[in-house]
Amino acid sequence: MAIRGAGRNGGTSAPLVKRVEDHFVGTFEAMASPCTLLVDTDDPGEAATLLAVAEAEARRIEQKFSRYQRDNPVYQINHSGGHPIEVDDETALLINYAATCYEMSDGMFDITSGVLRRIWTFDGGSDVPARNAVQRCLGHVGWWRVSWDSPTLTLPSGMEIDFGGIGKEYAVDRAAALIGALTGSSYVVNFGGDLYTSGLRRGNRTWGIGIDDPDRTTEAVLCRLEVSTGGIATSGDATRFVRWRGQRLGHILNPKTGWPVTDAPRSVTVFGRTCLEAGTLSTLAYLQGAGARSYLEEQGVQFWIV
Amino acid sequence: MRLQLGPAKPATPVREVLHSAALALLLIPATAKAQSAPTDRIDFSSLLYGEQSRTQVIEPMVRFTHLLPDGQSISAQLGIDVITGASPSGALPSGSVQTRTSASGRVITSPAGRIPLAPFRDHRIAFDGEWQKPWSRYVTSTLGGTYSREKDYQSLGLNGKFSTDLMRKLLTVTVGGGISRDTVFPVGGTPLGLSDGSIVHRGSNDKNVTNVILGASRILSRRWMVSINGTQTFERGYLTEPYKVISLMNLATGQPAGELTDKRPSTRNRSSVLFSSVYHLTDDVIYTSYRYYWDTWSVRSHTIDLKYRHALGGDTFLEPLVRYYQQTAADFFTIGLPQGAPLPDFATSDYRLGALRTITVGGTFGFHPEDIPGEWTIRAQFIRQAGNSSPPGAIGIQRNFDLSPPINTFAVVLGYSFDY
Amino acid sequence: MTRTGRQICRLIFPLALLLIAGCATVQPWDRDLLAQKQMSFNPSPMLQAVDEHIYFSKEASMGGMDAGGGGCGCN
Repeated sequence: MAIRGAGRNGGTSAPLVKRVEDHFVGTFEAMASPCTLLVDTDDPGEAATLLAVAEAEARRIEQKFSRYQRDNPVYQINHSGGHPIEVDDETALLINYAATCYEMSDGMFDITSGVLRRIWTFDGGSDVPARNAVQRCLGHVGWWRVSWDSPTLTLPSGMEIDFGGIGKEYAVDRAAALIGALTGSSYVVNFGGDLYTSGLRRGNRTWGIGIDDPDRTTEAVLCRLEVSTGGIATSGDATRFVRWRGQRLGHILNPKTGWPVTDAPRSVTVFGRTCLEAGTLSTLAYLQGAGARSYLEEQGVQFWIV
Repeated sequence: MRLQLGPAKPATPVREVLHSAALALLLIPATAKAQSAPTDRIDFSSLLYGEQSRTQVIEPMVRFTHLLPDGQSISAQLGIDVITGASPSGALPSGSVQTRTSASGRVITSPAGRIPLAPFRDHRIAFDGEWQKPWSRYVTSTLGGTYSREKDYQSLGLNGKFSTDLMRKLLTVTVGGGISRDTVFPVGGTPLGLSDGSIVHRGSNDKNVTNVILGASRILSRRWMVSINGTQTFERGYLTEPYKVISLMNLATGQPAGELTDKRPSTRNRSSVLFSSVYHLTDDVIYTSYRYYWDTWSVRSHTIDLKYRHALGGDTFLEPLVRYYQQTAADFFTIGLPQGAPLPDFATSDYRLGALRTITVGGTFGFHPEDIPGEWTIRAQFIRQAGNSSPPGAIGIQRNFDLSPPINTFAVVLGYSFDY
Repeated sequence: MTRTGRQICRLIFPLALLLIAGCATVQPWDRDLLAQKQMSFNPSPMLQAVDEHIYFSKEASMGGMDAGGGGCGCN
């Protein structure tokens, strides 16, 4: 499922702002996703400045926390060979956040589970890894194996961490905070469907947020939501699955079994006070499988399940 | 499908804990400035190459790469080869001890029944520069220059290529080309081709090489990519080996009765097609490639190359490799010329233009020591090359000799790279 | 072009078409393996250059992935 801002604008890659009706839209690509900024203003200069800020922050976070980049803190941790690594403040806070998620989810949300992705291919095919491959891989999964005494992390050799589950949401909130400090205009930061909206537009109007059909069979939106302030994030992606015994298993992996979460909804969208909160809750709910709905009902958040 | 947008229930601990954790994370001062990424890289390598009782080579190389923030990179490489030893002169073995004088005035003695070797000593210095520039997210250009110099050879080259990503980066197309202007100035002058070597001209000989390359690589799945590359090379000018000789054979006995200098055509067009595949297993990677080569001197060759990179955790890996190469002889290759018969237009007895096969086995070990920054690699290869030891043209005593004894070579390359 | 040359071309064009027409779709988020340094046709260019230099001096063939290196009097 993807969420798009009301003023969705063609996929230009150049960092340019375009006037769409009564607001400006800027787009760029970062973190392997299309990124959009909507600004409720008549001033193209303001929109361009804010777009530059959003893009710089997205790229900074991508560079610093992507596991595909070399020589960033994640790379240093993943290549530490079992030796203790001292991390900077920002990385320490992000690890603290991940550790909190681990505790709050009874170990279902685990930043060390990324190694499992090496044995799984979610291309719609029906290849599942051998039982012993999963077992071998699980030997390198588990936050409990990691020693974390902020700011010092000791990751056993062969293990890896990645912030795939929270990095993009974190980037949305960071970019939103930076933009909020620079402008009084209302805006929407949307990084690949994880977004933050900053309050009512001029004339007390809300931003209309369209929710796509998860199968993406049509360009039409399934539903339009009117939102003012807060974060929205989605877990689950109908295009990334593996077929197994007649079931479609989505790409989110259970770090305890090494298998994709079974009986999960196709996608879970959660509305939160920040994008990070929304994203974490949607992931935790998705990890509950069939229990996603009741989990979110217990949390008392607004949500949308397909 | 259901949308719940009712009034929110009182927040439960999980949500509140996450919210305060998120706020703790988001409250740290925002620094929109990109952290300084490492911008430079140094690679060292050193080759130790030894052929059994023939050529020995030591070749240290160093390369600096400087990355610019906008994605451009410039690099410079310096390499030095020190070559000593002996290589086959091209002459046939004799029934008795042979003595001849080399170009540099040294007296060479070859035992009976063994192919004569000519000793040599040379060094080569090579300098390469390269500039890579991305023009957009999909187009990259590379421009390079090369210069190398030996005692009797100089080469100056320019090359460039353009790569474009298509189909959402699933397909990359590369078009490139290069030219080089080489100069050959043999020690003691350039001998007239197919002569006894007494007629030489002083001064240098030119050799111009033009080369075009067309390639496409394709991502087939998350684990598999393949590529196809075609190259066409045009060589014009002095393509002869001035120090190689051809024996004149006595038609009855096969005994060498004199030597003529090497002479090759002044044009050579070379073509090759290379198919490569890289396949990622769970942790290991398989590299395979096949090349077919053909040229206007009638050399045809097949090359198969296999490597298996076995991951040993972290950056450590062991990569066994096997290579098989087979070529046909050039149409003017001959083991010797019959004494007294009319001379052909071109002839060579250089074993490298004869039919031969090469088999290589070896492996690479890569590791990343914990207390020293940088990556180390060591590649060791055993190369065995053999031609036709009893070619059909052999007459008389030559039938008793091994005219192409296998050459065993051991090559070790040590590499070290680090970012700073 | 020689006869063999024409045969080779007949072989290359269908293969080249296959390269373009293949049905794979690998989304950006599935490029984790492809992003690794070893997922390259030439993961260690310097070792490759040394090998090419060795074989160029021992064999009559040349040509591969790159547009010409520095010439050498060894062949």
